[in-house]
Amino acid sequence: MAGIDVAVTGLGLVTPGGIGVGPSWAAVCGGRSPAAVDPALEENPVRISCRVPDFRPDELLGARRAHRLDRFVQFALVAAREAIADAGLDPKTWDGARVGVVLGCADGGPGTVEEQHHVLRHSGATRVSPLLLPMQLPNMLAGQTAMEFGATGPNLVVATACASGATAIGTARDLLTLDRCDVVLAGGSEAMITPLVMAGFAQMGALSKREDDPALASRPFDADRDGFVAGEGAGVLVLERVADARARGARVRGRIVGYGASADAHHMTSPHPEGTGVEDALRSALADAGAGTGDVGHVNAHGTSTPLNDLAEARVLKRVLTSDPLVTSTKGVTGHLLGAAGAVEAAFSVLAMEQSLVPPTANLGTLDSRMEIKVADAPTVLRTDLTLSNSCGFGGQNVVLAIAAA
Amino acid sequence: MSTMLDQLKEILVSKLKVTAEQVVPEATHEELELDSLAVVELSLVLEQELGIKISDDELLEAPTIGDMVALMDERSAKV
Repeated sequence: MAGIDVAVTGLGLVTPGGIGVGPSWAAVCGGRSPAAVDPALEENPVRISCRVPDFRPDELLGARRAHRLDRFVQFALVAAREAIADAGLDPKTWDGARVGVVLGCADGGPGTVEEQHHVLRHSGATRVSPLLLPMQLPNMLAGQTAMEFGATGPNLVVATACASGATAIGTARDLLTLDRCDVVLAGGSEAMITPLVMAGFAQMGALSKREDDPALASRPFDADRDGFVAGEGAGVLVLERVADARARGARVRGRIVGYGASADAHHMTSPHPEGTGVEDALRSALADAGAGTGDVGHVNAHGTSTPLNDLAEARVLKRVLTSDPLVTSTKGVTGHLLGAAGAVEAAFSVLAMEQSLVPPTANLGTLDSRMEIKVADAPTVLRTDLTLSNSCGFGGQNVVLAIAAA
Repeated sequence: MSTMLDQLKEILVSKLKVTAEQVVPEATHEELELDSLAVVELSLVLEQELGIKISDDELLEAPTIGDMVALMDERSAKV
């Protein structure tokens, strides 16, 4: 059964570019990365991160509510609130039983775990907070969103590492196709910039070590790229069946027309060198959309700025897509938002078509000579009706979303 | 010297982020949204900050802030 066209009627973003869709979009179009040396990572081998600026949960959510939520849930609630308002929906009057929530994250709340582990080691088990588990469990992302907005329909959190946000959108589309609900709050959220997690990434050799100039550290597809920069944040999209959206007079900002998913079955962290899994996901997404390999005008690539990912992904794009689409990776500005990346980049894909503007791949000086793709090195005016948003996760999970203009 | 009510209020406001105006002697758990998790948290903080041992079960059985203050008075007299 092919999926139906699903409308994107609301967008909400919390990114290192800023809080809200406006500041986030302006930041990626501006092409300057806010990455910086992070005081919280003082003792880490790599100290660069890309934080959400001036995030004040007490002011945004109320001190009482914020106190009981890990940062990854706080991000999601702020993004979801913006998306719901953007869609012109009112949680006070909607039929909550027909509103689903599907969100993705890679890790849950490691910040809370690390804090309470410190308490355990220094003060003993009887001092550990009773909020440890309800704050850090990954599924709280969807559970708390349901509580905040009275969304009592299907409710789940998906985990495909750095593809989680995209998996959530694809899964949400399936729920709408199957008529399990009428509205889905879909997206991803992540707050993994903690000393332990970042030590793990550093030990894997995955992070850029460009500490002398952190703003230049995330440089997807560049010949001198040396790893990713960890970001944080959330992206939430309001999805509805196109017919329902039009019937209620909602503004359709874009459409999710295809979803492809696959596994490399190759290695726990390295992508398949030929990108066969990505290719499978890409072809599935196009088939699902009823589109051909020559129909794609723009690709928001996974483009993490790691040597292996970018090369494998570029090879797939060159091999499969005959239209020579304009490729960008917004991670040059935002860093890698991990489980939130797929959702945030789906939102950027919608905005790119809405505004006929492809944001630049920040810090692209010299394109890696092995890559035969067209990468946007400046904001570029482009009208297109079909964009692909790629996401890949450790573990070899690949997701491609085909997103059409409204 | 601050009263026991003041001390409880200070803890509820600074640690559990309860709104200060809500913390009055007749306020109930429900009115302050002190669920079972918050009561465990309160029990830990009372011991840590004031050295007063009151279990979460005992706190749950104290219907109002005033009753909690009475329990605190009673326990601190024995410290």
